[in-house]
Amino acid sequence: MGDMTRALSTRGVLVPPSLPNRIRLGAAILAGNLAAFGSRLAGKGSGASVRGQILTRLAPSAFADLLRGRRVLAVSGTNGKTTTTHLLAAAVRTGLGADRARLVTNADGANLGYGIASALSQARKADIAVLETDERVVSSMIEHARPEILVLLNFSRDQLDRHHEIKALGRSWRVALEAAGADGPTIVANACDPLVTWSAGTAAKVIWVETDTVWHADGALCPACGSLLVRVPAEGRDRWDCPGCELAQPSADYRVVGKTIILPSGEQVQPDLQVPGSFNISNAACALAAALEFGVGLEDALAGMHTVTSPAGRFATTSFGSTTARLLLAKNPAGWAEALPLAGSDPVILAIDAVAADGKDVSWLWDVDYEQLAGRHVVCTGPRAQDLAVRLSYAGVEHEIEPDLRAALGERHAAVDVIATYTPFQALLKMAGLR
Amino acid sequence: MTPVKIVLVYQSLLGIYGDRGNAMVLRQRLLRRGIDATLEIIEPGDAVPSDGAVYLLGGGEDAAQVSAVKGLKADGRIFGAVERGAVLFAVCAGLQIVGNTFTVGDHDEVIEGLGLLDVDTRRGDVRAVGEILTHWTKPDGTESLITGFENHGGFTTLGPAAKPLARVEIGIGNANDGVDGAVQGTVIGTYPHGPVLARNPELADHLLELALGRELKPLPDAELDELRRQRIAHVRKYGRG
Ligand SMILES: [Zn+2]
Repeated sequence: MGDMTRALSTRGVLVPPSLPNRIRLGAAILAGNLAAFGSRLAGKGSGASVRGQILTRLAPSAFADLLRGRRVLAVSGTNGKTTTTHLLAAAVRTGLGADRARLVTNADGANLGYGIASALSQARKADIAVLETDERVVSSMIEHARPEILVLLNFSRDQLDRHHEIKALGRSWRVALEAAGADGPTIVANACDPLVTWSAGTAAKVIWVETDTVWHADGALCPACGSLLVRVPAEGRDRWDCPGCELAQPSADYRVVGKTIILPSGEQVQPDLQVPGSFNISNAACALAAALEFGVGLEDALAGMHTVTSPAGRFATTSFGSTTARLLLAKNPAGWAEALPLAGSDPVILAIDAVAADGKDVSWLWDVDYEQLAGRHVVCTGPRAQDLAVRLSYAGVEHEIEPDLRAALGERHAAVDVIATYTPFQALLKMAGLR
Repeated sequence: MTPVKIVLVYQSLLGIYGDRGNAMVLRQRLLRRGIDATLEIIEPGDAVPSDGAVYLLGGGEDAAQVSAVKGLKADGRIFGAVERGAVLFAVCAGLQIVGNTFTVGDHDEVIEGLGLLDVDTRRGDVRAVGEILTHWTKPDGTESLITGFENHGGFTTLGPAAKPLARVEIGIGNANDGVDGAVQGTVIGTYPHGPVLARNPELADHLLELALGRELKPLPDAELDELRRQRIAHVRKYGRG
């Protein structure tokens, strides 16, 4: 390991904030750490979230101050952010070899400004930051952190009660990338997603990845001109094209074909991943493209990605009493389209909630193809189990309702798959002692 | 007997809030009664069938609304269908585009709608997001509660030819003016998603009875009753949430 290229060995220049800011930041980090410690003592998880909130309240410029001078690789998109961040961090860390302490990452998936500040505050000397970044934070990330590399995975309907128009987020990315100009990040972007393609359109440099995207429902209209996009047959799979303007699927630098990633050189690699699902091959292709661009060697990158097993608890197999369960997170219809085919157990447990972090409107249940579960038994759980039950009745899927999560897990002999929305997923991790 | 045809119009444009569920519910409620029914999903460029019993429009973003109006006007068959008495049920963005005019974009560009419902929509002073509970007076004079989730930036006002669908107990509805939706002949519009027909089977059956011109026997459903009980209790306790 540690066969470092020059780019990888280049150190970030960590500029300390001005003296008053430094004092304020130091005090804020101390207060945040104390709060996190208290939160851990009270058994309320890692305390990272509390730390971040206190830190950014006491030192409002903490996000920018803590990012300054670091070499940043950021990952954003609706689905797959956490896993891709873990894959990329593992690839870079392996490339760093003995210097691995140079890397900091928000491995817990806390991807808003305060979550990122919290992670950075715990590694003041790490000069390389691999950061999962919420879609809403991307533009300020571009402005304050001047990331070297920004991975844009996909854009789909998610928590519409908060985001309303997903296109507005893409527009904010365009503005930020345009303002950054030649100083902006190299983008690694999913060429199969029209909205991602348009959002990255103002970037100085883009590395395009042709992924194995299964969800196309949010790419009907051209984000640039509003025309209906068409799909034109091409070698391998269809490509999208706009009949009304210049926007079209860019030709890819990296391509995913089945379990294979084809590199720009034409070389083919099959990443040996421990995270399941074809969508994770696509995530790995994006992480690999970013890692290689950052100067990590191919062997190191693949070896690093192989070590990732259950990013922030996703895909973790764990025990609840005598029940062994594999935990899958699905936050929106595109996520469910990926998770449902993975969940093969009978019964399968589906956990639904609708507080702010899940999206308060559960209408999306009707965008998910639960019909594919016909013939198996479903245990509906979580506060919105009843909504799911009605959906399953109309889908002709046999089910029972057990609103209590622990009771739904029961004491089972055979392993079960659990697919959960965000809040019940976090509850399961806590119940399993994974956070 | 030929199957009853439910037509889901432009799902890829007007279906971002699970609105396809409304079509699935209508078809299933016919099948459960032993009435043969088909669901036809129409995308832009496809011909709109002229023999539908119920046509459904759902929620979507600005550009999708403009595109849908363009497509439906170019096709033209939706107008003939309504004229012959087919039911047109339009939710949220769908309600806006079947009206006379609505606005899109940051500069509130006024767009001509289909003109099938005497309503006009302009940007509201707040965005209406949250659970909504309304009172709908059924054709027999009795009242039924409609529960759903609204999410819209446009405020809709009714012209003289349209009547409100329901009175708002909790939520914003058309324009924070105490009413939701609009009815004009067999064209019915409303704001709540949920999808609204999944959460309100009486409204679903009303649409079917209107389309078929006859009464349907009730379908007792304890699971659905419990969902309604939960949603109504929740919105009354916690408000729009
Ligand atoms: Zn275009």
